[in-house]
Amino acid sequence: MDFLPFLVTQCLNALSQAALLFFLGCGLTLIFGIMRIVNFAHGAFFMLGAYVGYSTVHWTGNFWAALIVAPILVGAFGAAFELGILRQLYGRDGHAFLMVTFGLTLIMGEVIRLIWGVEALQVKPPDSLSDIVFILDEPFPVYRLFLVGAGIVVAVVIWQFLERTRLGLLIRATSQNAEMVHALGTDVRLVRSAVFGIGCGLAGIGGVMAAPLVTASLGMAPNAVIDTFVIVIIGGMGSFLGSLIGAVLVAFVQVFGTYYFPDFALAFMYLIMVTVLVVRPGGLLGKEA
Amino acid sequence: MRFLIAVAALLALLPFGLPPYAMTLLTEALILGLFAMSLDLMVGYARLISFGHAAAYGFGAYASGNFLLHTSMPLPCAVLLAGLLGGLVAIGVGWVCTQATGVSFSMLTLAYAQLLYAVAFKWTPVTGASDGLAGIPRNPGPFGVTWWSTKAGFYYLTLACLLGTFVFCRELVRSPFGAVLRGIRENEAKTIALGYNTRRYKIAIVAISFGFAGLAGALYAPFAGFANTELLFWLLSGQVLIMVIVGGAGTLIGPVLGAVFFLYMQQQLSSYTDSWALFFGVIFVLFVLFMPEGIWGLILSRFGKKAA
Amino acid sequence: MALLELDDLTKRYGGIVAVDHVTMRIDAGEVRAVIGPNGAGKTSLFHLITGVVKATEGSVRFADQDVSALPAHVRCQRGMSRTFQLTSLFPEMSARDNTRLAAQAREGKRWLPLGGSGVFHGAAQRGDAALERLGLTHVADRPAGLLSHGDQRLLEVAMALAQQPRLLLLDEPTQGLSVEETAQAVEVLASLFASAGLTVLLVEHDMEVVFRLAHKITVLHRGSVIADGDPETVKADESVQNAYLGGFA
Repeated sequence: MDFLPFLVTQCLNALSQAALLFFLGCGLTLIFGIMRIVNFAHGAFFMLGAYVGYSTVHWTGNFWAALIVAPILVGAFGAAFELGILRQLYGRDGHAFLMVTFGLTLIMGEVIRLIWGVEALQVKPPDSLSDIVFILDEPFPVYRLFLVGAGIVVAVVIWQFLERTRLGLLIRATSQNAEMVHALGTDVRLVRSAVFGIGCGLAGIGGVMAAPLVTASLGMAPNAVIDTFVIVIIGGMGSFLGSLIGAVLVAFVQVFGTYYFPDFALAFMYLIMVTVLVVRPGGLLGKEA
Repeated sequence: MRFLIAVAALLALLPFGLPPYAMTLLTEALILGLFAMSLDLMVGYARLISFGHAAAYGFGAYASGNFLLHTSMPLPCAVLLAGLLGGLVAIGVGWVCTQATGVSFSMLTLAYAQLLYAVAFKWTPVTGASDGLAGIPRNPGPFGVTWWSTKAGFYYLTLACLLGTFVFCRELVRSPFGAVLRGIRENEAKTIALGYNTRRYKIAIVAISFGFAGLAGALYAPFAGFANTELLFWLLSGQVLIMVIVGGAGTLIGPVLGAVFFLYMQQQLSSYTDSWALFFGVIFVLFVLFMPEGIWGLILSRFGKKAA
Repeated sequence: MALLELDDLTKRYGGIVAVDHVTMRIDAGEVRAVIGPNGAGKTSLFHLITGVVKATEGSVRFADQDVSALPAHVRCQRGMSRTFQLTSLFPEMSARDNTRLAAQAREGKRWLPLGGSGVFHGAAQRGDAALERLGLTHVADRPAGLLSHGDQRLLEVAMALAQQPRLLLLDEPTQGLSVEETAQAVEVLASLFASAGLTVLLVEHDMEVVFRLAHKITVLHRGSVIADGDPETVKADESVQNAYLGGFA
């Protein structure tokens, strides 16, 4: 294999991986940015998205339907969780949120196991995306190209949302200054549920999109939550651009690291995170100096 | 103190009245109790939430497993040495993890545990990869001393480790060092402003906590006769955190009760349903929501009210 | 003898100059107030002195040593003790334990992991003495978080005092207090300063508090010193009046 085609396809691979990570990272950042809540269950919502996606494809035979149904269901579940449980905890310290969402991860893992079983479930991409194209004579799955495109679309939508809407302005303001959260007051309780739901819904989309690549399995949650936190810690808690940069960085390290040093890929990821934390404890674009 | 001696005496007398299977269960409960108590030092006293405490436990188990399999080191030496080694390694781990605060700290501990978990699958000569280490013996000491290889003997060894750790930890949390930890828990910025280098205290408590967790793991390997990657898995880190919160963080005794409760419920529930972990998740969430002080915290406040 | 010397101290955040070439010296035994309208750079200056943030230019000398490069906790070890603008305590500990933890920070035994509470003896005595001097003995056993707001402010001063500092730095000690509470707190502080021979740097915007407590006053405006001297001189100074009127306009 020539070097150039190899490089191009691996870069595309990495970008498609980055798109998936970005779905996770921006959802977590959205929730943290506006609510100051660290959602440990983010990986579990991602996993739920993959399983709901599997069932939707199973019943309707239509992947696109899954892309709509899963985020709505997962987002609604997230919003309900915020309404029913998290709401009890405002005013307690941040660790309470961390532990409750951790408990939720355990519960969701068990419930998913009871409903869908322990076998990993294969999800087929739609026929229009299951082909292979040749890039510089190298075969490359169309589905991964689709992921890159979807990632770019979501990134642009979020960027516009942050720049153009009032809620976006509020989010940017709160991610700059934690004190601003108090300015939210108590009359925006619906906003909290909505934000939590949207964040979880984004994780749900990520889950559906990841399912054709990695199958829906019970191991998804912890791996996803670690990856997500790694990119958000690298990029800086609450910074969207940071989570984008973190996602791309981690994806490239994962793809190229796995290729060249299969035994150390994981270690590289952590090494980058630790280096960033040593140099800039608040993350690349974080607030803490 | 009188209470402590009474409980210790009661625990010491138990082997004479309990059937063997109950002894096994009790020994496991004490090992888990030691594990949970070690985590309480971080969670309850310095509010450092470790999501990767299984890393220390598994490390201790693999270390003592290797000592016992490949050397003729007597069992108690192997166990203590493994715990010590775990604590020394944790100085480096603590240095890295305390680079961050809050959630990032928790995620770094989880990342460390996942890293060890991945390493354990690859480093076959030391960890036996996915098969784990099997047939870990309870090596005899010099002059044919073997009392710890019997069921009751191993129980006493475990009990001694637990009580020793408890006395040490209780002293620690009441000492000047412990006062600084509570300061970090309540207001770290102020603690720094008072002139404490809080980072060093945090590294120290991580090392001590991981060391005792390593001791617990080091006991588990010869107790079960094996060590595998399950001992490093993140679910175990979660379970031990549940034991601490349910039992009562910041009380040292509470987490041991939490471990006993956990094991008992696991035994009871697993005969009815294989999804006992679901119930645990629910119990855990309910405790965080409605009883953050935990079982022992509740007992203490009840007694306090009666006394008043 | 100068205890604290600031030389050309400057702090820039991007294009904004928060502290602009401030030069100042505080002698041992002096009670100095730094005043100025909101945004004058008082808090930034305070952070530079205590080491919470590092200066862009210039130096901080404390007791004839350059401490510009030292982190906050080391400066504290050298004898600077501070209070916070927003009350900062250990809310679940008793007032006594708060001062004890403060006093213990100056002890060689602060690292001791064993030995129970007995080794606290010296620190506990100094803590109790500080509580007494601020009139807090009667609330010593209550959790700090449950004290009245005025007592919480005084407890912070007691904690700093328990460290037997060479320089006591107070960041708006009457911030957030009612008129009566302020009057009480000022009386307690005035008698403390009169009796103890302390060196104090006080940042404050309440003029009455400043004129009651300070020997000398430094006025900051937009990051630089515009006046310096005893209270009467400063009161009469025209640029000060302009700055204050300008600040309110």
